[in-house]
Amino acid sequence: MNESLILLLIETILIGMVPRAMPIFSAALGETVDQSAGILNLGVEGMMLMGAITGLLVDYYYHNIVFAFLAAGAVGILFGAIHGVLVITMKLDQTVIGTALWFVGWGLSGVIYAAIFGISSAPPTVQTLGHIYIPYLSSIPFFGRFIFGEDPLVYILIVTLIVVDYFLFHTKQGLNLRTVGQDPRVAEIMGVNPYLYRYAAVIFGGLMAGIGGAYLSLAIVGSFYFDLTAGMGFIAVALVYFGKWKPWRVFAGTLIFGAVYVFYFMMENIYPKIPYEFYQMLPYVVTLIMILIIGTKARAPASLALPYVKGE
Amino acid sequence: MNILKIIQIVFFIFLGLLISSVFFILFKLSPLSGLGTLLYEGFGTENGWYNTLRMTIPLLIISVGLSVPFTAKFWNIGAQGQFIIGEIFATWIGLTFANIVPPLLDIALAMVVGFVGGALWAMPPTIMKLYSGANEIITTLMMNFVAVYLLLWIVSGPLEGAQAKLVGAPTSAPIPAMDMLPLIPGTQISSGFLISLIIAIVFFFLLRYTKFGYELKLIGEGQNVASYSGINIKRQIILSMIISGGISGVAGMVYVYGITSTLIPQFFSDVSTSFGYVGIPVALMASLNPLGIIFTSIFLGGILNGAFVMEAIYSVPIDLVITIYGLIMIFSLIGIMFDLSKILRRKKIK
Repeated sequence: MNESLILLLIETILIGMVPRAMPIFSAALGETVDQSAGILNLGVEGMMLMGAITGLLVDYYYHNIVFAFLAAGAVGILFGAIHGVLVITMKLDQTVIGTALWFVGWGLSGVIYAAIFGISSAPPTVQTLGHIYIPYLSSIPFFGRFIFGEDPLVYILIVTLIVVDYFLFHTKQGLNLRTVGQDPRVAEIMGVNPYLYRYAAVIFGGLMAGIGGAYLSLAIVGSFYFDLTAGMGFIAVALVYFGKWKPWRVFAGTLIFGAVYVFYFMMENIYPKIPYEFYQMLPYVVTLIMILIIGTKARAPASLALPYVKGE
Repeated sequence: MNILKIIQIVFFIFLGLLISSVFFILFKLSPLSGLGTLLYEGFGTENGWYNTLRMTIPLLIISVGLSVPFTAKFWNIGAQGQFIIGEIFATWIGLTFANIVPPLLDIALAMVVGFVGGALWAMPPTIMKLYSGANEIITTLMMNFVAVYLLLWIVSGPLEGAQAKLVGAPTSAPIPAMDMLPLIPGTQISSGFLISLIIAIVFFFLLRYTKFGYELKLIGEGQNVASYSGINIKRQIILSMIISGGISGVAGMVYVYGITSTLIPQFFSDVSTSFGYVGIPVALMASLNPLGIIFTSIFLGGILNGAFVMEAIYSVPIDLVITIYGLIMIFSLIGIMFDLSKILRRKKIK
């Protein structure tokens, strides 16, 4: 391979990785807030699938992409609220409930899809989300298209990232939320209502998972099929560990993933001799390796996955 | 567990079923008749029972295996992957040694190798959890995806059968008929069902009456309690995952040798072969009691079988069962937590 080809490859990865990273990133950002408040949300995968099918349906019938994302977010909020009732109010086991919500979302997204489009018909397609090309800047060679030529939601998500990071680490409410995740009793003594913060966190987590799923169906695939997310929700949870509960580190982790996806699509074409199943394994193997690397250095919020029982 | 508690859990499970039956409306069926058809196709006819028990065999074995690490609150979501690796290993044995060794030896060998395969596949997540604290749900699930693609590659490459090349659908060559598990005389049920029942009974004693089972229960109640009482937590968790992964591998072997006779690719979106995932609600519904799992696996196996028929007749997608399983998980958990006597007492005070 000569030099200009390698440069072209890198540019392709840079351009492709940002959109590919966004569904995981959106879900992972919600999960970061969830876990900072001490809630382990393992139902992200199901919530993403519900967001994906909802967004697709609304866009397919009403041709309004803003409305489609709002609807997906609303369904995410609904799932988040149900999750909250089950694990915060009823104090059920977060691991089991998370798995159950994943099942519900996984099955229900397929059921809704089949009820409307039929089991074996060709999948419906919608136009994928358009990109914004900032004049002049986006034509800077190498970096221009990658930084200044993304779709609007990428910029919205990056603003959300900045806001969430500022909220968690530079505001009193953010400190309160993290205290709830460390020790709800201490928070209660400080005059903070742990239930309120935990509910806010699960609802935000659901919203972001729903948006992430809709991003996948509306901006990347432009369609929906059974089990569209293929484990992305769980990769998002893994990336929260990798990012050590810091939004910017989580963002960096998701970009690595975006690059992995683009990389394997490209390598499939460059080295077709390696069976393509091995390329498809790549995201999952990379997740395992990332979890292995982060190892014992990751320190979870002390009350993660533990219910808060008042006065105990 | 007293009888009142069991009735209460059963009540909540049916509540979950009723709620999920609402989705039949999407397919122009009334909820109750939809639910009725689902249960009738699973349990109402002789043929339905045969198919239900076919589903039950791998489900029962996997769920019983899951009950072991679950007792220690170690959440092995990777039974699906361990099942697939067991299938691959056992099929490889069958295709390699079938005409060389006597059938009984071949079956025994395949079972042992299937166990080893499943157990090996369970080890990386276990070791990662114990030595670096990686969440086992994520790691075991990632191993499932890797196994799915490994199987896809194996049936379209190394173990691809000659007939598959003609048809164009990737499967392995079939295991010779004489090496298959025989049917129970006078029925159409594979003797794999007897194997699964024996496994369930053995595991009941393992969990209930051995020091190992007792120590797992203590670990499940809290790592602190367990370490104060001098239990080697790491050793017992690793052992529980060797057993769970291995038994899932055996389920894979029994599935190939008792039901399919060939290695078939299983996509992760394919609910119909997701025994490893369905095993989770099966085990939880029975409160991890292997004898209870016999009944819950027949129950959920029947729903799975009924859903197959409903997909064929009413175009209700089989994905509906996954939703039903999710709701049943939630409601059986509520049923287990829900303390009727406490509520009655509170009323008396008022």
